Amino acid sequence: MAVPISQMFTVASYVLKQKIKGRKRYPLVLMLEPLFRCNLACAGCGKIQYPAHILKTDLTPEQCFAAVEECGTPMVSIPGGEPLLHPQMPEIVAGLVARKKYVYMCTNALLLKEKLHLFTPSKYLSFSVHVDGQKEHHDFSVCREGGHDQAMEGVREAVKRGFRVTTNTTLFDGADPNSVRAHFDELMAAGVESMMVSPGYTYDKAPDQNHFLGKAKSRRLFRAILSNRKKNWQFNTHPLFAEFLMGKRNFECTPWGMPTYNIFGWQKPCYLLQDGYADTFQELMEATEWANYGAKSGNPRCANCMVHSGHEASAVDYGFGSLKGFIDTAKAFLSGSYQDAGAQKILNEWQPEHRGQLVQIAAPAAQQTELVSGD
Amino acid sequence: MSTLQQESAKIEQLKHQSFDELEHVAGRERENLEGWIPELATADEVREALEKAFDYRGDVTVTLKDGTVVEGYVFDRRSGTSLTDSFIRILPSKGDRGKVNVAYGDIAALAFTGRDTAAGKTFEAWVKKYWEKKAAGEKNIGIEAEKLD
Ligand code: SF4
Repeated sequence: MAVPISQMFTVASYVLKQKIKGRKRYPLVLMLEPLFRCNLACAGCGKIQYPAHILKTDLTPEQCFAAVEECGTPMVSIPGGEPLLHPQMPEIVAGLVARKKYVYMCTNALLLKEKLHLFTPSKYLSFSVHVDGQKEHHDFSVCREGGHDQAMEGVREAVKRGFRVTTNTTLFDGADPNSVRAHFDELMAAGVESMMVSPGYTYDKAPDQNHFLGKAKSRRLFRAILSNRKKNWQFNTHPLFAEFLMGKRNFECTPWGMPTYNIFGWQKPCYLLQDGYADTFQELMEATEWANYGAKSGNPRCANCMVHSGHEASAVDYGFGSLKGFIDTAKAFLSGSYQDAGAQKILNEWQPEHRGQLVQIAAPAAQQTELVSGD
Repeated sequence: MSTLQQESAKIEQLKHQSFDELEHVAGRERENLEGWIPELATADEVREALEKAFDYRGDVTVTLKDGTVVEGYVFDRRSGTSLTDSFIRILPSKGDRGKVNVAYGDIAALAFTGRDTAAGKTFEAWVKKYWEKKAAGEKNIGIEAEKLD
């Protein structure tokens, strides 16, 4: 089972409660960013480019708890920056677990092994380890040789000590679906509970501006990756969001579905875009011009976005919003191997764009660059 | 929201193609704003400059009409109908680090004094450096996060 039954039940009853109350806009997961600093400098990440005084600032545990209470979601994701660099992260996580929130603490896992003793295994806590592919892919994505080995060591140690461990893989232009599938095999063999995969967002502050996947290529890539699934693969994304990535259905963005709180306040409108900040969650919901966001709005910064923070909530809402949505979701849960001869053909014929010592990049003589990834 | 000029690459791409059909998406063209001291003679110039200050990933120095100087990071702006009811919001780099609101109409001068932390770190530069180091026999090559002190 990709997600514990108790978690599924908590989320389902929360969503139903929102529906019964007639709330048109409700959040699903709080993206709590207690700091921006990181111990990596990934090419595709536009999150860490700030002056030193900003990077040195942390949210206090009290600020974190207040944001969680304000927002009221049953799940809290803690991205960053690298959360394990926050000196009070164990206290923050323990406080959220005590509030019975399902916590996904996102980490590059460089420090996971040495910090594990500061955390206690719980059904409410999952380490969501960012691993962007097989060894060479990941190392190049995070611009550091050896990063993959360190992350996987952290994964194995956390699994061994009884923690829930999930993973998060972000793909950019140049990703090789066959390698991504082999990566899934490696992750499941390492004992992870479930995996998440998503295309990267076109952060305009990211160092690499040349490897953003277009929607057409994203859909082909995800169809190749997620069709004909192996029986042991477990995913922790909503199955209809996976169908959206595979090009089987379309969802408009739900930008308020996964709101972000960080040292500046409540980010308008979403985790990815920064159009200013609100001081309270209520202000975020009331003062944001939601119609300006999502592909349908014509906003160029949303046009290519297929990221889970905007679209998975749409899948969840659809699943609960009508009998058809409920049946579609049930079907996806039950029959989820997605046999697809066409996808197999795409997979068989996919040409890795470069073969070199590091698979993402051509040798220098060819003067080419390839896949990068990030947040 | 960044300015139209800053969104030029994507807007250009959108004009010619449907995003649903794109294989690859154009990235953003960067403006070199570090060190810039904009003219603030007209209301449009003020709005444009403060929009850029909001988009800038470095500190700026704002001099108010009463002579007060605020240096810090512009993390928000609230655009009203006039310069008096429009505000930038700053996290100062020194002293009391609480959020500071400054009305557009109170600003006498603006300077992009801090380093643009999003500039000059291209992926291409990293790839080039990677191969140079590899050729020199180095191991465990990587980009270290910047030191903060
Ligand atoms: S489309 Fe993407 S970037 Fe735009 S609001 Fe939605 S989640 Fe944010």
